[in-house]
Amino acid sequence: MNRVLADIKAFGIQYLRSRVGTFFALVFPILLILLFGAIFGSSGTSRATLFVQDVDNKSASHAFIDALNQTNLTTVQMIPGTANFSQYLRDHSINVALQIPAGFQEALETAQNGTRANVTLTLAGDQTQSSYGIAVSAVNAIAAKFNLEVVGASPVVSVELTSLPGLRHFTYIDLFLPGIIGFTILSTPLFGMTAICSEYRSRRYFKLLATTKLSKAQWLASKVVFHILLLFASVALMVLVGIFVFSMKAVVTPMALILIMAGTLEFTSLGMVLGIFVRDPETGAAIANAIGFPMMFLAGSFFPVDAMPAFLQTGARFLPLTYINEGLRATMTFANDTTALVDLGITMVFAVVFFVVAARGLSWKSK
Amino acid sequence: MVEPVIDVRDLVKRYADLTAVDGISFHVDPGEMFSLLGPNGAGKTTTVEILEGLRNPTSGDARVLGVDVRSGYRKIRERVGVLPQDFEPFDRLKPREAIAYWAALFDRALGDTEAADLIQTVGLTDRADALAMNLSGGEKRRLGIAMSLVGRPELVFLDEPTTGLDPGARRELWGLIRQLKRQGTTIVLTTHYLDEAEQLADDVAIMNHGKVVAHGSPTQLINDYGGGSAIVLAGAEDAGLGALRARGITAELQGTDVVVRVPVAGDMRRMLEKLASIEMPLNEIYTRRASLEDVFLKLVGARMQEGVLAA
Repeated sequence: MNRVLADIKAFGIQYLRSRVGTFFALVFPILLILLFGAIFGSSGTSRATLFVQDVDNKSASHAFIDALNQTNLTTVQMIPGTANFSQYLRDHSINVALQIPAGFQEALETAQNGTRANVTLTLAGDQTQSSYGIAVSAVNAIAAKFNLEVVGASPVVSVELTSLPGLRHFTYIDLFLPGIIGFTILSTPLFGMTAICSEYRSRRYFKLLATTKLSKAQWLASKVVFHILLLFASVALMVLVGIFVFSMKAVVTPMALILIMAGTLEFTSLGMVLGIFVRDPETGAAIANAIGFPMMFLAGSFFPVDAMPAFLQTGARFLPLTYINEGLRATMTFANDTTALVDLGITMVFAVVFFVVAARGLSWKSK
Repeated sequence: MVEPVIDVRDLVKRYADLTAVDGISFHVDPGEMFSLLGPNGAGKTTTVEILEGLRNPTSGDARVLGVDVRSGYRKIRERVGVLPQDFEPFDRLKPREAIAYWAALFDRALGDTEAADLIQTVGLTDRADALAMNLSGGEKRRLGIAMSLVGRPELVFLDEPTTGLDPGARRELWGLIRQLKRQGTTIVLTTHYLDEAEQLADDVAIMNHGKVVAHGSPTQLINDYGGGSAIVLAGAEDAGLGALRARGITAELQGTDVVVRVPVAGDMRRMLEKLASIEMPLNEIYTRRASLEDVFLKLVGARMQEGVLAA
């Protein structure tokens, strides 16, 4: 036991003195959370900038623009009423803009008096941009409201937003943070152990260690325990940032801690397998990248697997990280430990297989 | 009779298409400094790694501290210290930390005073708190020797400890190795530096192509195989060689020098007088005692190239 503790301590000192390792284990996930949280996190949706040219420039068009501003979907910026609408959009590289034509108020007043009238708003924009879709929704909603008011009607069908029973009220960060934890569980041990095993072999540290009383199993255990402690520290930092910066509601449950430990064992072992069996350190790093990076995206670290095409969803079922991400979201965000337990079981199977392969492949002795 | 620290009999290590160690036998007595000497690829490191328990032999017997290396190496690991070939310390550990770490791996709690003494022994007191990556080559080897000593071993393997070091650092390490020997530690020194073996070893086994081709003390080997003393006619070249041969004197050309062997020490004066009477172009004339290099020349066919043996 003392040998394992001594190895953890010595390895930890070296790891923390390697600023690259510390950065990717502790700082990089925080930067990702701050970056993605700032982009998507504030209210679950983002406001689109909508440029508006009010050619009519009367009280009705002013009321329409005020209503657009109050939707929280759009931020209105005005285009001079005398400008050429199309030319202005091109000159200023504007994604989406609304033109309220002359006669807007007159058409509304005519309709209010019971006479048929029609006025057409022009919404121009780049349909590939998300801001376009947001602007369409906002403008259609306000136009419908104005149409109802003109004929003196009130809405019949309305929608009340509420949470499901037992479901924690969550925001974007509550869904995103478990994915970032999964990403860190993959990246820190996998890339780290691949490099460490390659270095230990090329610099003959394994041979050096073989001359001591430290056994192969003790060395492997030391690396797994170290990475679990490192991941716990990393998760603690991430959760603190989530809570204090983004008011995160997701909870680090006991099941989440067990999943983090199982996942760390899994990817520490996979890193050892790559580092031990791939002779060339550069090749080992390349293979770790080739495995790790696609897995981060396909296993749902940054967006849910359900949002992917069907064939990719099928592929994701074969990726070990998928079960860590889904298990962490299930227990941390949706308080569903039953689902997380299944994910934990699958993760443990992967972990044991990788660990056994690594333990059998690592040779303390030369041939 | 004292039991040998190392007892090797008919040891063989064979790979698919290579016999690295080919039936060698030797023993090392307690307190002895034993040197395995040979050119690169002679089988020295393979032999030492078998004795360190890092490789299994194909056949033969090897016992270290009375224990068979195949089955019982775990039992004697704490009694043996090892400085491997091309030793590299852990870059981001300081010598003080590395020594404490290594002691823990031998289940030894090293007190501050004991650690400081060990650091002082290897001459690293001033560098004890520098990162290992910032140590010089010689300092790194000294750290390696300190790590090999933390378990207070009865036997220390030093596998090419001075390879790649400058002459000053080599001599500093020689002093440290002599100090270990004075303290009664049995040392197995693997080297391809002839002067190192000659300076340090009590007993030398010369290996070539996996076999021990000669075994004995450096003096004994030089007497048996060195061909006695020699007179060197520096710069005499072919003309000098021809002049000597015309007088019936046996000589050989080594580079631009002509070398005349004098197997019996009592003949030296007479031969010098004889050579002085011969007209030939030369820069300098001097005598030299036979060395391990001469032994090598005879037994292995190896010469020194930039201070290192080449087969």
